[in-house]
Amino acid sequence: MRDERDRLYWIEGDVPHAPAPDQGPDPWGETKVVGTKRPRVDGYERVSGTAVYPSDLTLPHMLYGAILRCPHAHARVNGVNTTAAEKMPGVRAVLSGFTPDDAATAPHSGFIRTRLFNPECRYEGETVAAVAAETPYQAWDAVRAIRADYEVLPFVSDERRALDADAPKVQDEGNQVGDTQHYGRGDIEAGFAEADVILEQTYRTECEIHTPMEPHGCVTRWDGDALTVWESTQGVYNIQNTVAASLGMPLSKVRVIGHYMGGGFGAKLQPGRYTLIASLLAKRTARPVKLVLTREETCLAVGNRPPSNMWLKAGVKRDGTLTAFEYVGSGASGAYRAGGVSLLDWQVRDLYTCPNVRTELTNIYINAGPARPFRAPGHPQCSWALEQTMDALAEAIGMDPVELRLKNIPTFSQARDGRPYTTTGLRECLEEGAKAFGWSEARAATAADGDGHIKRGVGMAGALWGYGAGGPPCTVFVKVFADGSVNLNMGASDIGTGTKTVMAMVVAEELGVDPNSVQIDHADTGTTAYATASGGSKTVPTESPTVRSAALDAKRQILALAAEELEVDAASLTLENGKVVPADDTSQAKALSELRSLRRRRMITGVGHRGPNPADKVTCPFAAQFCEVEVNTKTGEVKVLRFVAAHDSGRVMNRLTYQNQVFGGITMGIGLGMTEERVLDGDQTGKMVNKNWHDYKLPTALDVPADMTCVPIDVPDPEANIAGAKGIGEPATIPTAAALANAIYDATGVRITETPASPLKVIQALTDAGKGA
Amino acid sequence: MLPQFSYVRATSLDEALQHLGTDDARLCAGGSDLIGCLRDEVFECSKVVSLSGIEQLKGIDRIGHAGVRIGALTSIAEVASDPLVNRGFTALAQAAAAVASPQLRNQGTIGGNICQKPRCWYYRGEFHCLRKGGTTCYALAGENHFHAVLGGARCYFVHPSDTAPALIALGASARVTGSQGTRLVPMEEFYVPPSTDPQRETVLEPDELVSEITLPAPAPGLRSSYRKVRARGSWDFSLAGVALALQFDGDRVVAGRVVLSGAAPIPWRSAEAEAAITGQRLDETTARGAAEAAMQDAVALKRNGYKILLFKGVIEEELLKLTQV
Amino acid sequence: MTREGNDRDEQTRDERGLSRRGFLQSVGAGALTAAAARPAVAMPPGSAPPAEGERLSKVTLVINGRQRQLQVEPRWSLSYVLRERLGLSGTKVGCDRGECGACTVLIDGVPRYACMTLAVEVEGNAITTVEGLMQGEELGPTQQAFVDEDAYQCGYCTCGQIMAAEGLLRADSNPSLDETRKQMSGNLCRCGAYPHIFAAVQRAAELRKGGAS
Repeated sequence: MRDERDRLYWIEGDVPHAPAPDQGPDPWGETKVVGTKRPRVDGYERVSGTAVYPSDLTLPHMLYGAILRCPHAHARVNGVNTTAAEKMPGVRAVLSGFTPDDAATAPHSGFIRTRLFNPECRYEGETVAAVAAETPYQAWDAVRAIRADYEVLPFVSDERRALDADAPKVQDEGNQVGDTQHYGRGDIEAGFAEADVILEQTYRTECEIHTPMEPHGCVTRWDGDALTVWESTQGVYNIQNTVAASLGMPLSKVRVIGHYMGGGFGAKLQPGRYTLIASLLAKRTARPVKLVLTREETCLAVGNRPPSNMWLKAGVKRDGTLTAFEYVGSGASGAYRAGGVSLLDWQVRDLYTCPNVRTELTNIYINAGPARPFRAPGHPQCSWALEQTMDALAEAIGMDPVELRLKNIPTFSQARDGRPYTTTGLRECLEEGAKAFGWSEARAATAADGDGHIKRGVGMAGALWGYGAGGPPCTVFVKVFADGSVNLNMGASDIGTGTKTVMAMVVAEELGVDPNSVQIDHADTGTTAYATASGGSKTVPTESPTVRSAALDAKRQILALAAEELEVDAASLTLENGKVVPADDTSQAKALSELRSLRRRRMITGVGHRGPNPADKVTCPFAAQFCEVEVNTKTGEVKVLRFVAAHDSGRVMNRLTYQNQVFGGITMGIGLGMTEERVLDGDQTGKMVNKNWHDYKLPTALDVPADMTCVPIDVPDPEANIAGAKGIGEPATIPTAAALANAIYDATGVRITETPASPLKVIQALTDAGKGA
Repeated sequence: MLPQFSYVRATSLDEALQHLGTDDARLCAGGSDLIGCLRDEVFECSKVVSLSGIEQLKGIDRIGHAGVRIGALTSIAEVASDPLVNRGFTALAQAAAAVASPQLRNQGTIGGNICQKPRCWYYRGEFHCLRKGGTTCYALAGENHFHAVLGGARCYFVHPSDTAPALIALGASARVTGSQGTRLVPMEEFYVPPSTDPQRETVLEPDELVSEITLPAPAPGLRSSYRKVRARGSWDFSLAGVALALQFDGDRVVAGRVVLSGAAPIPWRSAEAEAAITGQRLDETTARGAAEAAMQDAVALKRNGYKILLFKGVIEEELLKLTQV
Repeated sequence: MTREGNDRDEQTRDERGLSRRGFLQSVGAGALTAAAARPAVAMPPGSAPPAEGERLSKVTLVINGRQRQLQVEPRWSLSYVLRERLGLSGTKVGCDRGECGACTVLIDGVPRYACMTLAVEVEGNAITTVEGLMQGEELGPTQQAFVDEDAYQCGYCTCGQIMAAEGLLRADSNPSLDETRKQMSGNLCRCGAYPHIFAAVQRAAELRKGGAS
């Protein structure tokens, strides 16, 4: 693990209260509820408009915050005049680096490592001042009235030029972030020497912005010296941690609530400076403050998938044996230290069997917003390079692309000292996916394409997500009340993946109740036990074993009470539909509400802790995706006709939400591959020219195929955890863009090596290759 | 969050015109372009004059035998689905259907669509560019992926309207009403290129507005179409688009107009392409020749050379499609 | 639809369309405690403090069949008024620039972006929000279809998607897949639930035919 990810997703090392592996219950055999197709338990709230997202919250006496951000890519702030702003109607507080406020001007966090209002703004969108007012309109009037004195400084906005000797320095240390990272195994020269075919190619993926539908934002309120933050976040404990540390408060005094949240994709694993600003404005005014970023602000200041530059050289024997990979990658951290090249080489290191591998990664500062983890950091970019290269290798040796991949399936993690995988479903993904797609027939059909200017093509790509095992710490409570009704209490956020529904299904599986009847309290540092943030495809594999443990703990206690009361052996009892049922005589079933001992206690509390992952093994999800496209060779328009996605993510917990994750991953991959690109005005101002959803282009309903098929490789992974589940959220988006590029190649004979494959790029590439119509 | 302004909802054209001459008043027809401009602070505006209460500006009627009058406040969605428009003026129906997104077609009006302010990320962004009274066109040396390959001079945006090229192709006129009376302006003469005035888009005087569009009856044998290549299936403006209105006699083109969208700061009528097909049998050779001719004077900026390729492809493709109608 | 103009039905519900489940649970137990000392968490509709020092004008909006009189600034968007002044927060704001569709409402039965619409501009028009699709405490057919087909993930675009679908189905009770995709193309879903959304529109068409409304 490298960079910030480990801190954002989970905690390394042993966790004392986790049970030893041999103390856990047996894995599930047959399941009744888990694995079925179930609509969400909070569906009513989501479609009726009653689900309250942080940006929906309205508190009595609430003010609205707004932030003045630096309009320059690099500038020194020599002064901020807030006099006019302070006198404007409705304005209740103005903060800047030039107003006396210790908390506001101190370096506020080791995490973000800068002052809240930094005197040197290193990217467009750094915070300069902030306002709280009675209405958001008034707050923005005041922001417009603040006069900041900027000394504009030279900038560099392209990481490909940032290491030039004459490039302006983003940070005093220079523009390289730390040292270049090296990885190697085997003998790379020997590997290339034994290859029959060697190919090399450069690739690039453009910078993507997360832009979840709900902008980043929060509502903050003080009660005495205690602060409550309603934050649109993937992890309430991450927010609590940073806010408390930044404001010098004990954790116990910072309560963070994040019940509903409108998407994150990695951009909401951490708070923003806006969270601290809102907290300080609320403190200053003694009133609650809502501060929701504008869409433009979210494009500048709350993360991105950094642009990636990759060079890959690969060697293969005629029989399909991979002999060597040499890979050099670089990426943009942004103006501060962030994961500009996080996991950018992981697929090359570990997806296919290859004894000789050398990689080199360089992280680079530029004057632009810092990167943040973005759905499978590094992986889709690396896939863009690796999977196109695999296709080219297959063609060079005259082998089917699926066949070449099947030849090189690893059973152990080469990049983790050869530790075996708990399960490797890559073969099943490739075979089942190809079958569902009709791969061979489709390839034959596109090869026989006529000479019209509309060309069809098919492509595919394999993938693994290097994480997705989950792990401790995590503690969950399951409470059974005297009437038999059940409450599930967990710290995890449901970021839209269906976590609440899956966990209610786990409870239902063990306690024999209807999942919809399970009352859920979650994502609240004030009322739940600790959970890591929902990210890294680790929520289901972390939470579902923990919830299962807690439910089993409650069940054990209930059955023990019942056994005593019914004077039978507890082992002969089961729970079904709110009743204790003796296995040998179901007519003697007794409702939980009729258990005298439960009525006396009023409540049974089951506690579950997440057990550790197996020490000597590695757990990863695998995938293969297949697609068909139509390319208009006169206009460069690419129409995606269909997608088939086969995924091994261990046990499928809820078939409906699982499929939704897969389709969502494909849609996001289409964005990376075909439409999305941050554009900075590199030669003039360094400013982002497309900081809105018209010019920064997300796929619409007309850009994705309605014909998507999800092929779950539903093989439980009992060694991974007691739910047998691995993550699905991130692997679903890793191979998509590369599969598209391979399909475009199949259609036209032209490789699109730089994203996005929009008409702009495709028509140019076709023409350059003499393949335009 | 929008800055402050006052608001009046005019109940008659006269009332609207009275307000129009005052302060920094701006007209609000559907409002989809105006609200965006106000939000991006593209121009000053102290008063919004709403036309939404003026019923006489709405609706589509037949004029004469087969001509059509479209009130300026008629929504784009209505234009796209109107039977009269679809029957005789395919290019306009297709252009209207290609505008923005369904919701914006429900809000936006035909009058507003032809009077849109430029869509250039510098003009709409925080750049004090030439068109906003500054001294520089940032697009010229900047990120000009979506900028002009024809007709640029000092300013290089491309005109955003889809309906305007179709209207020009179909020989439509705009009825312009002002305090001094009304005049009929052929759509072809409605736009002002930056070589004439880089801070003005149309011939409208400050106290004038477009009250209706008139379309003459289609000539016998007229076939028309509009298509744009776009980066996404919705919302997006034209990367390269073409409105065609060709009068056929058998397989020969006897007259016709070829008008490009996404090419120039005004909807760009290509005399070269028209000359290449007029009097000719339309086949692959003539279509390709016309496409080449349309681009013969095109000049690529740093990042928009692809547009020339796109135009050649889409013009050829659409010309050939029209032979199969 | 019989919803509009049915004032009596409106009054039996909470103003926010919150009734069976919802707001208090979402705000958290601590807020309930605080509510004992201060007024309840949700601001009573229309009781927001006037915007001091601003030019306010009185408008009457017809929202979900009910007339609402309030003071607004001319610049206030319909989405701001619905969400922050009237507590109808089912209408979301994703971009505030007409580029995402999360704020989609029906105006005279037709889908429009509330963020691009000045509140003063729709005085006299019938405004329908997602709260107006409820049938008492029960979901309307379009809403139910979105649950059945899991046509959302994070849910933030969902109410806007539902309103676009509702507008489509009011105009065309049996839309083809192509028409569905076209008419749903003014609503972004960053989670990428589009295929399920298309399925939900088909399902909603069936539910509506089944007399569910």
